[in-house]
Amino acid sequence: MSPVSRRCVLTGAALTAASLIVPIGGRAAESNYEITDWIAIAPSGEVTLGLSQPEVGQGSYTALPQILADELDADWQRVKVRFVTGKAAYKIAFRQEPPAQKEGASMSTTALFGRLRIAGAAARDVLIRAAAQQWNVDVAQCRSENGFIINARGERLSYGDLAAAAAKLPLRSDPPLKDKRRFHLIGKPLPRLDTVGKCDGSAVFGIDVMVPGMLNAAIKTARAFTGQVTAIKNEAEILKMPGVHAVVKLAALAIANEDAGVQHPQLPNLPRHNAVCVVADRFWQANRALDALDVEFDGGVAADLSTVKIEAMLEAGLDAEQGVTALERGEPRQILKERAAAVIERRFLLPHIAHAPLEPVNATASYKDGAVEVWGPVQSVSACQEAVAHAVGCAADAVEVNVTFLGGSFGRKIVPDYVLQAVQASKAVGRPVKLIRSREEDMQHDVYRPNAGGRFRAVLDDRGYPLAVQARVAGQSLFGAVRKSWLDHTPEGAWDESMVDGIYNQSYRLPHFLVETVDTPLPIPVYFMRSVGSTAAVFFWESFITELAQRANIDQYAYRRNLLANDPLALRVLDAAAQASGWGTTTDTFRGIAYNCYIGRGGRFKTYVAEVVELARIADGLAVTRVFCAVDPGLAVNPNTLRAQIEGGIGFALTTALKSRITFANGGAEQSNFFDYPLLGIDEMPEIVPIVLPSDRPPQGFGEVVLAPVAPALAQALLHATGRRLDVMPFPEDAFRSRA
Amino acid sequence: MAVKFFVNGMPAEFDGPEEVPLLWVVREHLNLTGSKFGCGIGLCGACTMHVDGTAMRTCIMPVMMAQGRHVTTIEGLSHNGEHPVQKAWTELDVPQCGYCQSGMIMAAASLLSRHPDPSDADIDREMTNLCRCATYVRIRAAIHRAAKLR
Repeated sequence: MSPVSRRCVLTGAALTAASLIVPIGGRAAESNYEITDWIAIAPSGEVTLGLSQPEVGQGSYTALPQILADELDADWQRVKVRFVTGKAAYKIAFRQEPPAQKEGASMSTTALFGRLRIAGAAARDVLIRAAAQQWNVDVAQCRSENGFIINARGERLSYGDLAAAAAKLPLRSDPPLKDKRRFHLIGKPLPRLDTVGKCDGSAVFGIDVMVPGMLNAAIKTARAFTGQVTAIKNEAEILKMPGVHAVVKLAALAIANEDAGVQHPQLPNLPRHNAVCVVADRFWQANRALDALDVEFDGGVAADLSTVKIEAMLEAGLDAEQGVTALERGEPRQILKERAAAVIERRFLLPHIAHAPLEPVNATASYKDGAVEVWGPVQSVSACQEAVAHAVGCAADAVEVNVTFLGGSFGRKIVPDYVLQAVQASKAVGRPVKLIRSREEDMQHDVYRPNAGGRFRAVLDDRGYPLAVQARVAGQSLFGAVRKSWLDHTPEGAWDESMVDGIYNQSYRLPHFLVETVDTPLPIPVYFMRSVGSTAAVFFWESFITELAQRANIDQYAYRRNLLANDPLALRVLDAAAQASGWGTTTDTFRGIAYNCYIGRGGRFKTYVAEVVELARIADGLAVTRVFCAVDPGLAVNPNTLRAQIEGGIGFALTTALKSRITFANGGAEQSNFFDYPLLGIDEMPEIVPIVLPSDRPPQGFGEVVLAPVAPALAQALLHATGRRLDVMPFPEDAFRSRA
Repeated sequence: MAVKFFVNGMPAEFDGPEEVPLLWVVREHLNLTGSKFGCGIGLCGACTMHVDGTAMRTCIMPVMMAQGRHVTTIEGLSHNGEHPVQKAWTELDVPQCGYCQSGMIMAAASLLSRHPDPSDADIDREMTNLCRCATYVRIRAAIHRAAKLR
């Protein structure tokens, strides 16, 4: 799709269809001239920049408009950002799937950088031509600067003065782009445009949406994933409670599966109704009525699901005769067999975990005569449209999605199960309905990050470096569950790249290397979560490298340096992290180092990361004091938001390493709130030392890349301090106890 | 009997059940949505408001406990966001997703009213609100910055 298409002169309707900052109903009144799909300019000179990517905290709200405004030579003080939707230009392709308007896979900046530059440059080009016509001079005599076109005589016309004329000129598809030395916004650590609204309470999240005539719904779902509603015993009484309009049984509609754009049930034998909601004037009324509702559920076909069984399946997968070969180089099987006595082996285990965004999933929907409008925290506009269209039987384009700020998501809010529930409730009562899940409902009906187990075996050469390595990862396959078209096929079966992401695709020197996966399918809803499989795979892999280095009696940094000797970009981050941390200096600190090159889906980007975790002794044990993080992110469009992703990403990964575990019993999840699924607190947050290396590469993905090395680097530091090997996440609570 | 109290200096009245959490009265009846719902059990602090100047978790505070008292929400903490905590938060660009930040700011403002120049240990002890984006590095720095701005 071309980034430079447009309809005729518009009044700005396309750009105000939804807004992240203007409350619903308070749409901009001023006429705008649409210059491109992305840029509208008002006669006053105010520039509206379109944002296609939902803002989940990653900073797209600032960094993407920065790219547009730079090429446009806009006055940054006079830009506004509006969420835009409805055009092909706003969609990006992720792998072998149709283009979608969606935030995910750390792809936004990488995928849109070129497109937004062209859009900005094309708009600047028509503004220059409009000015040249007005002055009757050659375009070569006109230049742009900070919201004005200036001619050789020094006369100036503002973008606002030129907008009407510029909007009528044809756009060039190959407008002249700026030389990057002339960037005045790209590469600058600009303050976030959404900060003020997030500090005074005015930023509108999904849960804050208000629509005229709206009712509110509270929901209760069967505890078991395959459970269903069997009886509602006191509906008549509930309907008499103040403010209550309806009790609505909700169908267990499919959980998102973007394969071929069709929705498939993820679970076997989906029950007809798995939840019930009470719809009332106020949410608190709905909630009180829900508490009083006498509803019974059964457990369905997988009521016996339990963590004990799941872990037994994992262990069996790790010990299976054969896995599916993802990669085989040299003669690993033969060497490991011949030198069986010398084989070093480690096993690892990771549980399912929940996204737990601080804003529980919620949505507001209005179903009217077969048409649906949705407002809320939606990470994928396309997935939401497709799911709703499939549920109500309309065209995807007929579903209007108004994206608000997302109060955290981490992948969760791509899956629009909660939107489908709001749509059903609205359809039942004939009015718009905002449905909010309680924390317990959010936690117990997440689409979880799958579990994983690792079994790693190696034989070392005479110098102590890996001669032959077998890396096997077992677990519930994410792609097998929700993205079958992304599986890689072999004669032995299909393998799921996400299970071995960070193992099979790294540049460590491994002459004889075997990578295998074993799928242990489960009736548990799963989905992508920030850093996806790499959190597990890199923990296993780097911890195994730690083991090998220790067996070889070689320094951890030196060992990795040796194995990565042929990858200069890898060495660069490794050296930077080690040097910044004072690696090798002897103080009363313990350090651990880990490395990962995060590779975007379909090989779209490569972000190099090395981290050093530092521990210090405190009164009752050990504490993480600092984390050094060296990255090569390509061009950093906004170093301020990039640093924020380093800081927050490491904190997020510490929660995963130290605290997160969902267990299952009686067919459902056992944890329900932050007392049994705790998050990292400020008292546990270390100092973060970011080292952002300059790079000539274009912007690489960043939102997920710093997470994976945290756990193995921490485990290695703890090993040095306590002598204890850590092979499960979350780490045991006494892992920080000092060596006696 | 209606519960009468003040919100951001203005009189407010609620004549529903007196055990309804203050959070929902403020959000749904006064349309002040800056205070958020996060956990419903007083653990995460996204719902933090000031009641007579002290930070309270309002998702578990029955509205009747506000009878006759002065409630301040993020919307009423200052005019135009000029409270030192808001200024520091903006200067250091603390928020990521931003959902917890209203509560964080209210908790930090309450902390600073009791400890004008808090130590890191004070912050560790008092700031028990949760941030899933883990913006804690900047929260800590912003609290120290706010102490200087006061």
